[in-house]
Amino acid sequence: MNKIHRAVLASVVALATAAPAVHAADLTVGFTLDADTLDPANHRKRETETIIRNMYDGILTRDAEMKVVPEIAESFTQVSPSVYDFKIRSGIKFHDGSDLTAEDVKFTLDRLTIEGAMGNDQTSPRKSLLGPLESVEIVNGDTVRINLSEPWPILPAMLPFQEVVSKAFVEKVGTEGLATEVNGTGPFKLVEWRKGDSIIMERFDDYYGGATDIEPVGPACVDRVIFKIIPETASRVAALLSGDVDIINELPTFSIEQVKNNPNTDVMTVNGTRSFFIAMNMEGEFFDDPKVRQAVAHAIDKDLIIDRILGGNAAGIEGILSPDAFGASELPSYDYDPEKSMALLAEAGYPDGIEVTMDVEGAFKDTAEAIASLLTNAGIKTSVAVGEGAQLSNKWRTKGEPKSGDMYFSSWGNGSLDPFDIFTPTHRSNDRGNSAGYANPELDALLDAAAVELDSEKRAAMYREAELIVNRDLPYVYLWVPQDIYGVSKRLSGWKPSADSRINLHDACVN
Amino acid sequence: MTNVADMSRPPETIFQQNLGNFMRNRLAVASSAVVILFILLAIFAPLIAPHDPNATDLFRRLQPPAWVEGGEWSYLLGCDQLGRDILSRIIYGARISIFIGAAVILVATTIGIIAGLSAGYLRGWVDVVISRIVDILLGFPYLIFAIGLMAMMGPGLINIILALAYKEWVIPCRVVRGETLATRELEYIEAARALGASRRHIMVKEILPNILSPVIVVSTIRMAHVIILEASLSFLGLGVQPPTASWGSMVSDGRAFILESWWVSTFPGLAILLLVLAINVAGQGLRDAFDPRFHE
Amino acid sequence: MGLGKFLERVLQLVPVLLGVSVIVFIMIALTPGDPVQIMIGDQAITPEQEAALRRDLGLDRPMYERFFLFVGNAVQGDFGQSFYHRRPVSEVIAERLPATIELSLVALLIALFTSIPLGVLAAIRKNSIFDRIATVISLLGVSLPGFWFGILLLMLFAVHLNILPVAGRIGYSSEIEPITHFLLIDTLLRGRPDAFLDALSHIILPAVTLGLPMTAILMRVTRSSMLEVLQQDYVTFAEAKGLSRRRVLFRHALKNALIPTVSVAAIETGSLLGGNMIVETVFGWPGLGRLVVESIFLRNYPLVQAAVLLYAVTYVLLNFFADILYTVLNPKVKL
Repeated sequence: MNKIHRAVLASVVALATAAPAVHAADLTVGFTLDADTLDPANHRKRETETIIRNMYDGILTRDAEMKVVPEIAESFTQVSPSVYDFKIRSGIKFHDGSDLTAEDVKFTLDRLTIEGAMGNDQTSPRKSLLGPLESVEIVNGDTVRINLSEPWPILPAMLPFQEVVSKAFVEKVGTEGLATEVNGTGPFKLVEWRKGDSIIMERFDDYYGGATDIEPVGPACVDRVIFKIIPETASRVAALLSGDVDIINELPTFSIEQVKNNPNTDVMTVNGTRSFFIAMNMEGEFFDDPKVRQAVAHAIDKDLIIDRILGGNAAGIEGILSPDAFGASELPSYDYDPEKSMALLAEAGYPDGIEVTMDVEGAFKDTAEAIASLLTNAGIKTSVAVGEGAQLSNKWRTKGEPKSGDMYFSSWGNGSLDPFDIFTPTHRSNDRGNSAGYANPELDALLDAAAVELDSEKRAAMYREAELIVNRDLPYVYLWVPQDIYGVSKRLSGWKPSADSRINLHDACVN
Repeated sequence: MTNVADMSRPPETIFQQNLGNFMRNRLAVASSAVVILFILLAIFAPLIAPHDPNATDLFRRLQPPAWVEGGEWSYLLGCDQLGRDILSRIIYGARISIFIGAAVILVATTIGIIAGLSAGYLRGWVDVVISRIVDILLGFPYLIFAIGLMAMMGPGLINIILALAYKEWVIPCRVVRGETLATRELEYIEAARALGASRRHIMVKEILPNILSPVIVVSTIRMAHVIILEASLSFLGLGVQPPTASWGSMVSDGRAFILESWWVSTFPGLAILLLVLAINVAGQGLRDAFDPRFHE
Repeated sequence: MGLGKFLERVLQLVPVLLGVSVIVFIMIALTPGDPVQIMIGDQAITPEQEAALRRDLGLDRPMYERFFLFVGNAVQGDFGQSFYHRRPVSEVIAERLPATIELSLVALLIALFTSIPLGVLAAIRKNSIFDRIATVISLLGVSLPGFWFGILLLMLFAVHLNILPVAGRIGYSSEIEPITHFLLIDTLLRGRPDAFLDALSHIILPAVTLGLPMTAILMRVTRSSMLEVLQQDYVTFAEAKGLSRRRVLFRHALKNALIPTVSVAAIETGSLLGGNMIVETVFGWPGLGRLVVESIFLRNYPLVQAAVLLYAVTYVLLNFFADILYTVLNPKVKL
């Protein structure tokens, strides 16, 4: 063959075999979303925090079982109902070699909570996650004291959402610089951020070791961590199956079999923290009548849907709380009984059934359709209306303003697994997540009291009582809490998924 | 070239001649047959489809096509993630694609003809305004504009048609304007003007019939493009509401499990390909048949 | 062409851009969905904090004020801050732009290098088997839905055959210091042929998918224009003079035949920008198209506004370029 042919053939062969050199111990994560920014105080996305959390540590953190443990702090005490002291460890270094002191911690908290502290008159969008934090001061040189304007028992549960930055570094590069540059105390430091494509990190050898309650303590196991952004589901699964990545998040239920059957991969699950429910418009035409609401509850075969559509990877709920949440308890269930539904409808004055619409976001339309099918069989003729998340939020989360619509298939996240974050927004009168339009002064009082109750036992009892009330009143049909499903490579060890969606790679190793 | 034998037959009109050209193009005729087949499928869907396209059956989730192990012949092309029969959904989906395609083209062509005639014949500020609007609309990439409109109006059949027609009318408008500019100086138009015909009369009765031919050809070819655009919108999640089946949304739904359950995305995609290809071939045949230069 | 004409064309840009901006703002005003609400999602926030957030994003001002602020800043090159990235929009777009441009250019090159030879050959061997095949390919090219075809290609080459990557622009073997931000060029400039092949293997599938419709259109244009030229008098005249057919073809015919091809290519390049979004989504390509679609859904107004203006400018410039190209190549036509 002539020269041209040879050259072409050579190129094709080279192309086909062009495998990039693999670093000794690279851990690659096939991830759904890129980080918005690398500034820990300037975003609101879980995925962004997951990425940042490998490069920045926090005052407190959570272990894989969601227990709150100290990280940068050595210990903490509650001095009074609204004052907490955090003793800061010594010997922690930032990636640039400088030492971490209590000053950096105070600076971080001030930056998060003081108006305009982000520069250019901007306030941190994460300020609201620190609730009634009033001021921060340094006590005894190495202890940071947080003063709250009122008691807030969930402060320790909320602190893991924040990461500590270096005062000197932020003063040097400013908020603009912090968006793309990293100087944290985490087990990995930033190598390169290819926007929209990937984030490359490498091990920080002078890492102080991490939370003492989470074994093993010491520098990270792998040389590099690469978060590869693959939003397309099938591509992400394909990357796992072919060995391109070692962990993927958001593994869909129908791919579980395939991943399990592949000799190199496996599936890992963890109980999730997002409660799914159907809001019924209690100010609407049909759902002001409790009998109609009960009819809906009895018409849905939750077990069937959990089994068939969610692959069995979900926990059914009868109240708003996840079974793992603080204050959760056993509740009476509304069994699948379509005949009872029809009887209840007849009792309520609708012997021929009713016709309703169910609003849902595109991502969940399949589940909504399956439910609509079941409802229709029980006399509740349901048509599904797909809308954009933004439009639907506008329509349903009206904070007490009148709304239109019949049913809304939706969910609410509870990352801290503390009821305060989920119960109040969704059930308190006129609150921001109360899409059902539920208004019960007795419940409101109970929730308000529980929010400031410091005694754990009393608090748990209050939430149990609250759950009994809403289980009886049924403003929502409580559906399930899906598990988070991850695909992993068999050469991965030392990693477990976390209920708060964090992918903490400090102790992960690849063989 | 005429010969004596030909002279004894009545002369064919140009239209009949062109039609004859079209008929001689076997490929074009075959494609037209395919298009008509799809239209019939769409019209008679309730009679032809073996199952209710919206009937979910959670026990038949992702059932493979009949010839693969685990499939059933009564569910020929398999089932989707909610156990609905794919063949039935494809048949009903033809309604969506064809209806939207035709509706968009109809609306766009009507607006385009009105705008193009006005701009081309009346000239002056009418032309300037219309041309500016055309320029501005052309500055938006098609898909972004459609997505933006859908975000604004919300999903729904009418909204899709409007969203696609909002930009589509520009194309027949340009064609009509060009043709009008060319025709308005011809003698018979001058004659009509001299006879005192109103402007509207000239535009509608004199110019329009003579420029329809290229407009129809362009519109046919654009219809294929519109069908793909609608599928793209549905693919991005902005299409018709469930449970209505649009081929584009079927492809989109199936892409998450294309690795194991390839049939959910593949067959609707094939349907799009076949229909659009048939329209394109037939349209090409139309263009060739009506183009005098082709037959020298 | 004269300076006057040039300025006239540039001035025409202004009303178009203004019109585009107005339309975008009207659409934003009419689109339901509150960016602040989307951003906060489920999380806790007091009314004061929400007001502060709204103020930070500039959403507390009335629509017309925002419009004038936008236009005023835009002419100075300031397009505001992206709601999510909290960085200047121009920065965020500039980071994602090279990926999109590179993809579009490679698609264009593939289209040109495939369609021109095929179109010319199809014209020369008119009605042969070759011609039929070329016609079929060109019809397929405009009939294949890109999103479907792209997924199939991806599954075939990346999954089943496992010879091409699944997503991204390049692997992680080492850093390539950017010069032009076009990976294909930078890898060569840095003397890294292995990285070049790596980048090539990442770009080939999306570029083919993106360029296929254009290949189809250009092939038909080339073919029909070549056919026309071949029938021209001057061709027969040249042949009669005794010039070899080959010489005639390549000297005279080809040059003139390519004029429509090139101008259509220039115009159609604008449509590549439209097809970008789908291809970037399917192939996980980190470009601007994907970013814009995401931003629309997130109601990230500043980014959408700036991106739309960018597209509009590109389109007008491309049209302008096509006109110039046409005059340069065909001196008989005056603008």
